[in-house]
Amino acid sequence: MPEKIDFSKVSFLIVDQNKLSTQLIRDILAMLEVTRVRSVTSVERARNVLRGEPVDIIITEYYMDPEDGIDLIDWVRTASDSPDRMTPIIMLTANSEEEYVMRARDRGVTEFLAKPFNVEGLYRRLVAVIARPRAFVNAEGYFGPDRRRRQVEYDGPDRRHID
Amino acid sequence: MARRAQIIPPRPDLRRKAVNHSKGFDLKLSPAMVQKLEQVVHKARDTFTADIADRLVAMRKALREAGEGPEQERQALALIYSNSLDIKGAGGTIGYDLLTAIGKSLNDFAAGLTRLDRRRSDVIDLHIDALYVVLANRITGRGGPTEAAVLKAFSAVRTKFKDS
Repeated sequence: MPEKIDFSKVSFLIVDQNKLSTQLIRDILAMLEVTRVRSVTSVERARNVLRGEPVDIIITEYYMDPEDGIDLIDWVRTASDSPDRMTPIIMLTANSEEEYVMRARDRGVTEFLAKPFNVEGLYRRLVAVIARPRAFVNAEGYFGPDRRRRQVEYDGPDRRHID
Repeated sequence: MARRAQIIPPRPDLRRKAVNHSKGFDLKLSPAMVQKLEQVVHKARDTFTADIADRLVAMRKALREAGEGPEQERQALALIYSNSLDIKGAGGTIGYDLLTAIGKSLNDFAAGLTRLDRRRSDVIDLHIDALYVVLANRITGRGGPTEAAVLKAFSAVRTKFKDS
């Protein structure tokens, strides 16, 4: 039998200063039978919510003032008072040029989706973070999902083996 | 010596909690479900276009007041940047791809701009005019050759006046 996702078991936090965008995401999530959604308009409020009650998935905009989505990722991934450094974070933003994508990726975003978006694109990101969780990398200067996407089977000699 | 990277295996909690074989939504959405979700977006279209119209009014007003002093100028540039970014993000979501294209053009122009002169104000004004035309005529999609020519012209004026 094929796998299904029961979204009623998943909680969300939306962080965006654009109330219409937030409402649209809420409406889409409601159609997917999500029942636990919080939304806030600033990174500071997001931190307060997360300190009180961790969520399963964060959906955040990049552009916010005074702190932006990168500040939120930094806090979740690296702060000593972050409630869960491995929380999946989907960045949904109109700051969609390559420089923003790379910056978000290098700070530990899990998925990136450009606005304008379509429902299938959003759904694919949700499926990815729920059904296909990624390994994390803890390295000097980086804590976040493994940025190598393709896992290619290789059965030749291990030329990198140095031990 | 540099610290070795530690690989932490994927955490199964969320998958274990939400993925099953009996209840919920398929990993690949059926066309019927896609249509249902698209209807949610479609229903939001009027609210979004009204919001974009409000943003155009606000940008025009800020642009008019920008000449009153440095603080008004700074506020106008910040507002034009954030509103054009919102228009860029919203347009295509509700089927107005041309709004996104013009919004992006304006946002690219406003990004990093610290001063306004008459020519730069004119460029911004022209973008706002074009956004109004798209909204008033309900031009969905990317438009035709005329719209493409307008975008090309915007690209040329952006290059010419942004750093002049």
